[in-house]
Amino acid sequence: MTTLTERWRMIALGFLVTALYACAVGGGYDGGDVAVAGYYEPGGYEYGGWGPGYHVGPARGGERRPAQGGHSYRPAAPSRSTPSIAARPRGR
Amino acid sequence: MNLNRPQARAYLPQRLLALLLLGVFGSSINAASIELPPLNDPASSEHHVGKVIWVDLATPDLAGAEHFYGGLFGWTFREIRTGRIDYVVALLDGRPVAGLLQKAIPTGEHRQPAWLTFIAVSDVAATSRTALSNGAKVLAQARNFPSRGWQAVLADPQGAVFAVLASSSGDSPDFLAAPGEWIWSALIANDPDKDAAFYQALLGYDVFDLPSDDGSEHVILSTDNVSRAGINGMPHDSARRHPHWLNFVRVVDAADAVAHAVALGGRVLVEPRIDRHGGRVAVVADPTGAPVGLMEWSDTDSKQEPK
Repeated sequence: MTTLTERWRMIALGFLVTALYACAVGGGYDGGDVAVAGYYEPGGYEYGGWGPGYHVGPARGGERRPAQGGHSYRPAAPSRSTPSIAARPRGR
Repeated sequence: MNLNRPQARAYLPQRLLALLLLGVFGSSINAASIELPPLNDPASSEHHVGKVIWVDLATPDLAGAEHFYGGLFGWTFREIRTGRIDYVVALLDGRPVAGLLQKAIPTGEHRQPAWLTFIAVSDVAATSRTALSNGAKVLAQARNFPSRGWQAVLADPQGAVFAVLASSSGDSPDFLAAPGEWIWSALIANDPDKDAAFYQALLGYDVFDLPSDDGSEHVILSTDNVSRAGINGMPHDSARRHPHWLNFVRVVDAADAVAHAVALGGRVLVEPRIDRHGGRVAVVADPTGAPVGLMEWSDTDSKQEPK
């Protein structure tokens, strides 16, 4: 009898651990707070303030670069011009 | 088996192992609950660490999202339903371009849908460890979808959420995006300089500093001598103070696309405007509020800076 109780206790604990683990990893596509594809941003934000000269797009290639220095990152060598996006059309 | 206390202690390691196995087994069942298709079919032999290779959208209105994005970009959709999961793959000319998931916004929570950006890596676990050691958070642990690959969701040190993916079918070759395909990704950050250092440490980017004409920071991240993404400082007057990734779909005419988006139930977040490359960009929100960028890109290799 005690053995049976022990086994059921283990099984119950196993399911509990499984359930807790599933919640902890976010649940992926099955749900959860932050899922693999189920991410929602905090709400209440709006776009705006993109004033003149605020650029977000890629370079065309070959653009001038300012003098480097004082960055947290390692800048590319000054001799290198900024690359552009891939230019080759598909199928060519 | 009637165990006294010392015996019970002796069996403790076996019990803990059994619990662990049950947990892992259970999570495997969870991960296997949906069979995501490969990114490339046939598989590609190419690998481009640092390239944005996929995007997913969780939406509370999947049918509405299909109507909006199908109408705006000409995408078609293939349903992948497994149990209670509603997930569709968006296709352009038969090629997968995005994934959309039906998911309710948790009751009582003030959240909005957003596209999740997947960046190519070679080893998700190692990348996650590097991210953690550089101040990021792991929001969803690495998990394997056999046909898709290993993936994990992270938040960079400034809070922008992104995903990393080691694709089982390789990475797509570097082609110029066709209209209707994703062409560019921008990270809007509080501190582009520090974020560039983080992503460089994580993915080995070459970093190019290209300040905007308004003096705000703008850096370009590249690998294989191809620009993969940009990092911008938060616009000065923006009320949107949450760092985030914003992805752009190539369009032929940004003004026409904006008008079309509005007709389909979307709204304008940033009106069409000339950008660095000489084409126009705009940002619209889909009917549930998810921002998506629109970008013109001419095939002519103009090196002229916009005036």
